Amino acid sequence: MIRFEQVSKKYHDKHALVRTNFHLQRGDMAFLTGHSGAGKSTLLKLIMLMERPTSGKVIVDRQDLSQLNRAQVPAHRRKIGLVFQDHQLLLDYSVFDNVALPLKISGYNERDSGRRVRAALDKVGLLDKEKLSPQVLSSGEQQRIGIARAIVNKPKLILADEPTGNLDPALSAEIMRLFQQFNQVGVSVLIASHDLELIQRLPHPVIQLNQGRISGPPSLMRQ
Amino acid sequence: MAFLKNRPAQNASRSQPESSSKRWLREHKEVASSSWHRLWQTPLANLLTWLTLAIALALPAALLLLLSQAQHLGQQVNQSSHISIFLAPYVNQEQGQLITNQLASRPDIAQATYISAKQALINFKASSGLEDILASLTDNPLPATILIEPANTSLGPEAIAILAQQLRQQDQIDQVLVDMAWLDRLQALLATSERFTYSLALLLALGVLLVVGNTVRLQIENRKQEILVIKLVGGTDAYLRRPFLYAGFWAGLFAAIIAWVILQLGVTYLHPPLLSLAQSYQSDWQLEGLSWFGSFILVIASCGLSVLGASLTVGRQLRLIEPK
Repeated sequence: MIRFEQVSKKYHDKHALVRTNFHLQRGDMAFLTGHSGAGKSTLLKLIMLMERPTSGKVIVDRQDLSQLNRAQVPAHRRKIGLVFQDHQLLLDYSVFDNVALPLKISGYNERDSGRRVRAALDKVGLLDKEKLSPQVLSSGEQQRIGIARAIVNKPKLILADEPTGNLDPALSAEIMRLFQQFNQVGVSVLIASHDLELIQRLPHPVIQLNQGRISGPPSLMRQ
Repeated sequence: MAFLKNRPAQNASRSQPESSSKRWLREHKEVASSSWHRLWQTPLANLLTWLTLAIALALPAALLLLLSQAQHLGQQVNQSSHISIFLAPYVNQEQGQLITNQLASRPDIAQATYISAKQALINFKASSGLEDILASLTDNPLPATILIEPANTSLGPEAIAILAQQLRQQDQIDQVLVDMAWLDRLQALLATSERFTYSLALLLALGVLLVVGNTVRLQIENRKQEILVIKLVGGTDAYLRRPFLYAGFWAGLFAAIIAWVILQLGVTYLHPPLLSLAQSYQSDWQLEGLSWFGSFILVIASCGLSVLGASLTVGRQLRLIEPK
């Protein structure tokens, strides 16, 4: 699903990623870890085409991203469900409208979109909050809204950047269970997290980044 | 057959986005309505923008309106141009009357009026108030005159000049006067006003573009977070541009409506003094407001300029906002 081939990224003089190789198979779930500044965000940004690599090849869903021009970026991003640490919800939108945003962009009509939004909200257990503003929800609930928005378009790949960063351990475990549920129905999941305690309790491979260099189990490192 | 045809369509609408043209129409309807509702979230700020645009539109529109009506008036003046013929001193009243009748029978002359030298003096005494001085004169200094009205009222200045030239060639005619200089001056004045108005309209159109551009830039700045999120979840540039283009359209529409009201108020205000001015010249000229066609042009120009102003700004501004 995601393949990095000798990917390097340099910001001015600083090497954020150095000749990185890994391969996340279709339907797999993996964690990406390393302390802050190790290159986690850079790696996710390369997958989202928020950045372009200095050298090497990033392949997502069999598509070489270097082949995509600026106009093709939105279509690429629509294939990926993205979950942020700070949830990035729009506070002047209702919960429903936040979740419906990816569908609106994809041109769904109200009826189909309503059905999908409610299905997504049901999955994260917040069906009864659709009319509220995200502002009145707890941070755990806000994060779940963010996840509902990421899955509403039924993406093949979910990327999460520190999704449990602001949550207590119980809530974090609950969020991770959600990701596992999506993975069980065939969605590929890559989660950047530095919550080692939580990660180690879960049966998924871990990719480690250290000063832009990558290491991990052979299953992920082979090409 | 209908049943078979219906089923796949229903299935399609259940699982996939609908056909592109239907979708396009629905999306535009949605954006038009959402941008309309957004207008009333900051009504005062919008009203100020609309007023600014309306003034920038009303000014050249008012000048164009006055200009077109002044040109109309200019044509009327052209049409009613008289020719004055001064007869030679040796032509007596009988001969003068004869020449007048001959001229009146020409096809290109509608009316010829003979004014004898004596009558001319009486007229002049009455209108000038110089009776005492004129009474002291032994001879009548005024010649007999024939006033001519050309037949074809649509006769241009050139045709009148040719007629005057023909009249000059007659022996008994001393002098032929057409006040061409005054007409030329009027034409030149109108041409100058025309160019001035067009230049002003061009400058103010540029002003409209800049005002709308700046307003849209501020709107984009205010919705930066929303734009970032939309870009991250895969919104295209066209999708992002649309609400701002509609905002430009609404601004143009409201500006046109306000400009129209300003124009009509201005016409109502100017009408009485202009009417008495026209009446003093025995003219039935009246200042008219914008016609239906003129109003239509005003709306089209205003909306067109505003959408153009918005689209010139929005592309550049959206490129500046990229998720980091």
